[in-house]
Parts: sequence; C-alpha cells; structure tokens
Amino acid sequence: MQPFPGMGYDRAITVFSPDGRLFQVEYAREAVKRGTTSLGIRYKNGVLLAVDKRITSKLIEARSIEKIFQIDDYIGAATSGLVADARVLIERARLEAQIYRITYNEPIEIELLAKRICDYKQLYTQHGGVRPFGVSLLLAGIGDSPRLFETDPSGALIEYKATAIGAGRNIAMEIFENKYKDNMSREEAIMLALEVLNQATEGKLSKESTEIAFVEIDKPFTKIPQDDVEKFIEKFKSESKD
Amino acid sequence: MDDWISLKLKESKKFEKGQRIARPAKLIRLLPIGYPLNNKSNVIAVSDEKLFEVYAKEQWLGTIVAKGDYLFDQRLIPDFAFKVVKTLPQGEVMITEETKIVLEKINPIYRVKTNVTFKDIIGHERVKEKCKIIMKYLKEPEKFGEWAPKNILFYGPPGTGKTMTAKALANETSSALYLIRATDLIGEYVGDASRKIHDLYKMARDTAPSIIFIDEFDAIGLDRAYQSLRGDVSEIVNALLTELDGIEENRGVVTIASTNNPTMLDRAIRSRFEEEIEFKLPNLKERYEILKHYAKKLPLRVEADLMKYARVTKGLSGRDLKEKLLKIALHKAIAKDSDKITEEHIEEALKEIKNLPSPPKEMFS
Repeated sequence: MQPFPGMGYDRAITVFSPDGRLFQVEYAREAVKRGTTSLGIRYKNGVLLAVDKRITSKLIEARSIEKIFQIDDYIGAATSGLVADARVLIERARLEAQIYRITYNEPIEIELLAKRICDYKQLYTQHGGVRPFGVSLLLAGIGDSPRLFETDPSGALIEYKATAIGAGRNIAMEIFENKYKDNMSREEAIMLALEVLNQATEGKLSKESTEIAFVEIDKPFTKIPQDDVEKFIEKFKSESKD
Repeated sequence: MDDWISLKLKESKKFEKGQRIARPAKLIRLLPIGYPLNNKSNVIAVSDEKLFEVYAKEQWLGTIVAKGDYLFDQRLIPDFAFKVVKTLPQGEVMITEETKIVLEKINPIYRVKTNVTFKDIIGHERVKEKCKIIMKYLKEPEKFGEWAPKNILFYGPPGTGKTMTAKALANETSSALYLIRATDLIGEYVGDASRKIHDLYKMARDTAPSIIFIDEFDAIGLDRAYQSLRGDVSEIVNALLTELDGIEENRGVVTIASTNNPTMLDRAIRSRFEEEIEFKLPNLKERYEILKHYAKKLPLRVEADLMKYARVTKGLSGRDLKEKLLKIALHKAIAKDSDKITEEHIEEALKEIKNLPSPPKEMFS
C-alpha cells in the first residue's frame, strides 16, 4: 500500500496536521492551478483583467465560457478554478454589492467587498462537512485609486500591482517581476497582458480564447469587444516579431 | 601518506625474516587498488585465480602483513597495489606456502560504457554546472580543501534525464564512478544491506576521489515514518546516515542520489544533501530542442515541422518524446516502407500516446 503523504490529516477539513497545515485547503489551491490563466494589471488610472479561455473544441460556443464578470459599476472579477464554485462566489459578490447599495445608498468599496468574499470563503475552511471553494478571484475596482485584489481558497487576501492565478501563474509572475512598471497606459498594460497570455499558452494566443476587460477612474467596467482584442493581438504579434 | 610509509617499512621487514615472529597466515584476502599514490584506480581482471595465487605467493612469501596493509606487485605490473582486507588469524601474519590467497571481488561497480555526453542533455543548466564543479573537484581535489562537494540529490518526474546525467558523467570523467541501483543494495538477509553500503563507501574511499551514484534512492532512503511497511529499511537508513555524513570522513567521495519521489525520503537523510537539483519537465523550447536532437539521430530523415509537435506535447518528458513519439513514428515509417518520416507518421504516433496531458476538464476554467 502506498502510504499517505498527509498520514490521514487530509481526510477532514477541520483537522490540522501536526505541523499546522490544512491539507484540504492546500488541495483547493491545486484546483485553482488546474484552471486556465487569469491575470490582472494595475495601470495609471485603471485596472485591467485578462483571461485565457482555452477553447478546446471548435464546437464550443466561446461566449459560454465565462471567466470575467461584472460585479458592480466599477468592480469586475476574473476567476480561475472550478467553474461552478466561481459562479456561486460571483453571485455572492453581486449580492453583497447590492445589499450595501440598498442599505447605505452608495456603491460598495472594493476592499470591503474583497473582505466580504474572503470571510465567506473562510467559513468553508472551518466548518465540518463542507469543502473549501476551489477557486481564486481577481477583483479589480476603483476606490480612491485603482485597486486589484487576489482572493485565495483559504480566504486569504492580498492586494497586488499585477498578479495572475491559474495554470500560468508562475510564468506570469516571472514576466511581471521583470516588466511591470508603475503608471503604464492602458495600451501598455494590454500588451503586457497579451505577452503573459502568449507565454502561458505557449504561443496559442487567439481572439476567441482571449478576453480583456478594464475599469478606470471615470470609466465603469468595460469588456473590450472581440474585434478590438483581435487588433491588439495583431499589434502584439507584429511587435514581438521584431 | 602515513599509511604508505608504514607499508614500505613493513615491506622491508621481509628481509629481517627470522628476527620477527608472526603466526603463519591461513588466509589473506587482497583487494586490487591500483595506484593509490597518484589517485589512479585501475581495475585488473584476474582470469585464473589459482595462477594468481602461485604468482602472489612467489613474490610475497615470508612477508608479514596485517589488515589494512598494502602489497605492491613488483613484476608484471610494477607498483600496482593490493590492499589486505582480511587475514586469518587476525593480527600480523606471515605469508607461507600454506597461505590461501584470495582476491576480493569488486562487486557493485558498473563501469558503464555509454555514448551519452553532456551535449545530449538538453536544458538542465544547473545540473550541468554542478557536474562541471564535480569534475573540477575530481581533477583538482586540493583546490577545494574541506569544502568539497559531497552529497547531491537529483529529483524530478521520470524520464527527465537523471540517470542520463549519471551516464554522461561516467563517460566524461576518468575517476572511479560507482553506479549503483538502490535495489542492488538490498540483500538477501537482514544485515546484508547495511554491510553492502559500508563496503561500498569503504571502496569508494579507497579509490578516492570517486563518485557514487545511487539510482532510485527512495527505495532505500525511505522516511522512517513509513518503515512499518518495509521493515528491513531502517537498518539501511541508519547505514546511509552514518555514511553520508558520519563519524568517518568521506574525503573525496561525492554521492549523487536520484529519486522520483523526494517527499518519501527520510528527513535526516535529505538534510545531508547540500544541494537538491530538480529535473523539470521540458518546456516548449526544450521539447523542440529534444525533438531536433533525436531527429538527427534517427536512421530515417524526418520531414516534419517539429515545432508543431513540440507545441502539442506539453507535459511529456524527454524520454517520452524519444521513446513514445519519435521511435513509434520511425516504426510506422518502416512498416510502411517509407524512406522518410513524415508528419503523417508522427501524427499516428501522437494518437497512441495515452498520457498526453488533457486540457482542464469542463469543470475547470
């Protein structure tokens, strides 16, 4: 019999291993890695979200694969991991945004929303009989300034200037470490995003599988139409050739 | 060095015969060492052991020896050294007509003859650099002093070139390299394994500087927590612990261990490795290089866009690319009496690869 690496501490979510780990939560992170790459970049006056949808068959309707969602006027989210879990969380986020709006008659702060989502995720790491969400969220929004948050299956929350989740995270972070600059323009940010997606998909960048959205200080959440995405991809490809 | 002086002194005792008294030896065991003074080990093969006994007795008759002494050949291979590894009775004994002289078999050395060189290893820059350091050390051990490379662990998925690196190392160095399969060290009886390990390290010390390469290391370096599954392993682990960095100093012995499963290793053993080098699955560029490299070696010409296949084979190891893709494509081409390998053949081979990584199932996105 092959011995268990966790010696049985991964059977129940609420049981710590002797060295203080929660294996089920760590396994949920692996589920996030099985998802395709989603990334977020903060630039001069906004935040950009870009995803690789990885269309595996030409029979699939590309628009049915959702990875970027609008939460509120000035808040968008990109997901990676289990699709169904992602949808539940997105619904929750939209609901939180609406509850806040009705209660206080003003839009929810992006940081507060991120914390609410993480509180919700955290519940699923401390109760018996449940499993954690196998999904990470990138939350892009405008507070006093553009902000980008990453939430993790454990309920941990980190704010980034640029980050990525899913299969291509390591590749993406390496590129960001080298090439991220403060105060980029929207177009520069898009080019950087396309470079990351190109590397993460090993050169299989296409307009069908790429989706880009942004939110800016005076511009609500906007998805870039596919035709424009195609133009950016063409521009990226011609630039990367020389 | 002291060893050498004492053994020369001992040799001179041969001429003081009669003044010194020693018990006649019933049996002595000799281990061919080669030239211990200039670090060359030269293993000889003795085909007729009876003849060797006569030859040995003739030149060393009357010599008084003890365990650990050296005997030097003075006739056929001048100054070739034999180390006395065992005497019966113990202590100082004299070689007489009745003494049985037995050659120690040099057992677990696999002097592999391969044509693998470092050029065949694609990617893995850190590994190559480390191997260069090891080779430098073997050439000029004095430069390193007590800061010599000692224990290195190779780990990574199967087929990524761990054993191949060992073969290349064997090919490109002239020092003694002991290529050990971990399973060889597990003996028939309880106690065999630890004895074998101690013997191995003793031999490696004698022929220092030398490299010991242990393949499939997890078979013997198993974590003590899992040893209830394999009762005999604990003695092996203890033997390894003492040898890897123990009471006896392994001057000039570099141990390289390779495993697919580093998490199963005993923590104490793992901590003794100064460096752990991961062998990763090849990326796009490396896969292309690997395909190109082996395509050149195929007996048939390859007419295909290799980059295209490098793209779709993410997750395959170097061995998979060679054995499952190119080899099968070659077989298909030969079966169809084609004089070249075309994309059609490679496509067919590709279809037969079962463990191609599937894109995330629909539940992930």
